Amino acid sequence: MKKITIDHLPRVEGNGGITAIIDGQAVSEVKFYINEGPRLIERLVIGRTPEEDVSLTPRICAICTVSHKLAAVRAMENALNVQVPHQTNLLRELMHMGEMIESHSLHVYYLALPDYLGFPNAIAMASKHEFEVKIALEMKNFGNHIMKVINGRFVHGENTVIGGFGKWPSREELLWIKSRAIQFMPFVYKTVNLFCTLNYPDIPEAETQYACCLPPHEKYGFWGDEILVSNGDRIFREDYRQLTNEFVVPHSYARHSRYQDKPYSVGALARVNNLGERLEGEAGRMFRKYFNDHWKKNPLYNNAAQALEILYCFERLPQLVDELLEIDNTPEIVSYQTQEGQGTGLVEAPRGLLIHHYRVEQGLVKGADIITPTAQNAEDIERYGMIAAQTLLDRGEEEKIRDRLDIIVRAYDPCISCSVHLAEVKTVEETAWENQLAEIKRQASPLFIGIGNITQGDDGIGPTLITKLKELGIKAVCSSELDTQNIKSLVNSDQPFIFVDALDAGKKPGAISLIPLLAVLYSSSLSHRLAPFIQNEFSYSQLKKSYLLGIQPRSITKQQHLSPEVSQALQRLIDQLEN
Amino acid sequence: MKGKKLKIGIYELTGCAGDALMILNCEKELPAIFQAVDIQSFLMAKSDNIDDELDVALVEGSVTTEKEVEELKDIRKRSKIVVALGLCATVGGIQARFQDPQKWQENFRQVYGETKMELPAVVSKPIDAYIKVDFYLPGCPISKEQFLNFFTRVVKGAPPESYPQPVCVSCKYKENDCLLKNGLFCLGPLTADGCGAVCPSHNLPCVGCWGPVQGGNWTSEFYLLQDKGFSREFIKKKMANFAGTKLSEFWKQFDRRD
Repeated sequence: MKKITIDHLPRVEGNGGITAIIDGQAVSEVKFYINEGPRLIERLVIGRTPEEDVSLTPRICAICTVSHKLAAVRAMENALNVQVPHQTNLLRELMHMGEMIESHSLHVYYLALPDYLGFPNAIAMASKHEFEVKIALEMKNFGNHIMKVINGRFVHGENTVIGGFGKWPSREELLWIKSRAIQFMPFVYKTVNLFCTLNYPDIPEAETQYACCLPPHEKYGFWGDEILVSNGDRIFREDYRQLTNEFVVPHSYARHSRYQDKPYSVGALARVNNLGERLEGEAGRMFRKYFNDHWKKNPLYNNAAQALEILYCFERLPQLVDELLEIDNTPEIVSYQTQEGQGTGLVEAPRGLLIHHYRVEQGLVKGADIITPTAQNAEDIERYGMIAAQTLLDRGEEEKIRDRLDIIVRAYDPCISCSVHLAEVKTVEETAWENQLAEIKRQASPLFIGIGNITQGDDGIGPTLITKLKELGIKAVCSSELDTQNIKSLVNSDQPFIFVDALDAGKKPGAISLIPLLAVLYSSSLSHRLAPFIQNEFSYSQLKKSYLLGIQPRSITKQQHLSPEVSQALQRLIDQLEN
Repeated sequence: MKGKKLKIGIYELTGCAGDALMILNCEKELPAIFQAVDIQSFLMAKSDNIDDELDVALVEGSVTTEKEVEELKDIRKRSKIVVALGLCATVGGIQARFQDPQKWQENFRQVYGETKMELPAVVSKPIDAYIKVDFYLPGCPISKEQFLNFFTRVVKGAPPESYPQPVCVSCKYKENDCLLKNGLFCLGPLTADGCGAVCPSHNLPCVGCWGPVQGGNWTSEFYLLQDKGFSREFIKKKMANFAGTKLSEFWKQFDRRD
């Protein structure tokens, strides 16, 4: 068994990795690791004032610092019933655009583009593409400049406070932002055309669910009081737990999330999928020109979506400055007296939906809950990683797995600091199944389901083992005895299934492998006889816990008995399961 | 310096990656930086990283997992000079609040429950809790100006400049009104300068994010704030936010005296 490891993913923000384990012809595991340790931010704001909280929590992440600031401030304003004037929201929107431009241009040009043009980094890429590298740096610098003018600093600025801004930027500073934005337009078009026409590989492709903020108007935007899911569901901000149901996984200090028990994605691609129809002007025209079915199911198109959003921001900047300058006064910070309350703030960080929720009692934070985009994407990163690795393995392109995993993770523009860096491909030991099987048995009593035909030689291993297990009093059944009706009476939602079947994994006859059922479902060569029926009847989390126990056959021909190797394997399995 | 280029590594432990990002935020100087030195490792910026002997290692982030302890010790072994970059590396960062292991454990359980994690965590500490550090460049995040100044001097083989003054010095140069005098809770007198007094220049009090300045008169400011009507508990909490592990000795003595 082999293991592909990218231990420290390069060109991402923070320290994380991804591992794939390959067992013969199956990918038995893909895990997205966060190598950074726990910072317990949600705990260390307890007992602090709301003002201290909005200064501390943006420190979660340097690249999303403005988004964290805005989510924290909005949550506190909702909790403490602070209403800010329209103008304050406009200036916040302008500042937020600065972060989007800075983060997106850093990601598409410096972190992602070298993958598609075949360079190890952007500085090396500059030898051939000096113009792009230089102007993109200027664009990133412009985004930083906007944040500095409005928030006080490039990173962790403090000018945004509950109720408004410490200092309002001058008319000249705002006009400079407008004129500079207009100067960038030719390069912005170039960026959209470049990233929307890159040759993105078609692996992985699979449908997913997308979630983003629903703006409080009919236009595109980066904040709102509701979450919009691609199936049409709308979730009010205070009910955000309906979307995120976070849970802890042992390999990451970022808690994972699923919606209705299925992985979902957030980020620029989610926003463009859910709200792209709302884009106006040139961004709208470009959306209609380039958007197609691939954008709906291929995470690599996140790079294209980010480029489209850069255009949206550059078109919006001059409008925003005009709107701000039309109102000719600078609002004071809205003060508040409220000491108690609960509230949630939703904003779109460059890499997706960001949620802050606080409970304030006697003027101090009593409870905090922060849900970051990368943590929400973790499940889908692992799922797409699995699909890509398995598809490449099926096509005999195993050598491509490592780079592809790297590119998928990077396309999500993960912010590992946020979620609390790497790709690894491993192969497993011959006997790894023994410990794994014992562990599954220890946690829950699985239902064994045998598949096969006893008149077809080694194909009879499934039913034969089932007969023996029944004699031992272990819960087991043959697939021929099952239908959609009775299966539900045999397992409850906590119990995993273990399918037993002859499986050609390219190993020695009699070799045993234990492969996650999900890998089997994603594999064209493995998903043979069990797919349609169980996929429809059972939940994602139950399938995620389930396995295929595969035994490598010697021959599948018309005969009534098993080959000696497979008979030995049968005995090993019985010995193992008896204990 | 003629001859060989300096070999430099930039490493990120646990933190917000803001200090590495600030290096990338030197947009105009970045091509020159990559030309002036041989950057052997910089995960956020490049893929072809090698872990070899280094002239200078820049380390950001606090030490928060057992694996990071090992990585840090390995970096020290390979490097002639180790520089602590940013608040997390210099004082442990905001996450160094829970130094009492039992308290840390309780808070850890509140977030991650009883799940046995694959990467064992340790109480957050600054890097000098484990290795000898040659230079400190504080800030949350570091300032571009201080970094470029430091970098240029190191490349030219000159000793880096130190910044012994508090935020108040920059604040006076900017002719800001004193917020402390106006009754606001400002940590300027106790905080190392490097930001150029950015918050007071925006009419907002200093939160202390550069960490404690050397020789700051904590006792005196404590009583000053108490006289202004802030409670003992409130002052202690605010002073602790960005001080990491560096004030624990002070508080021990202070509590004994007071």
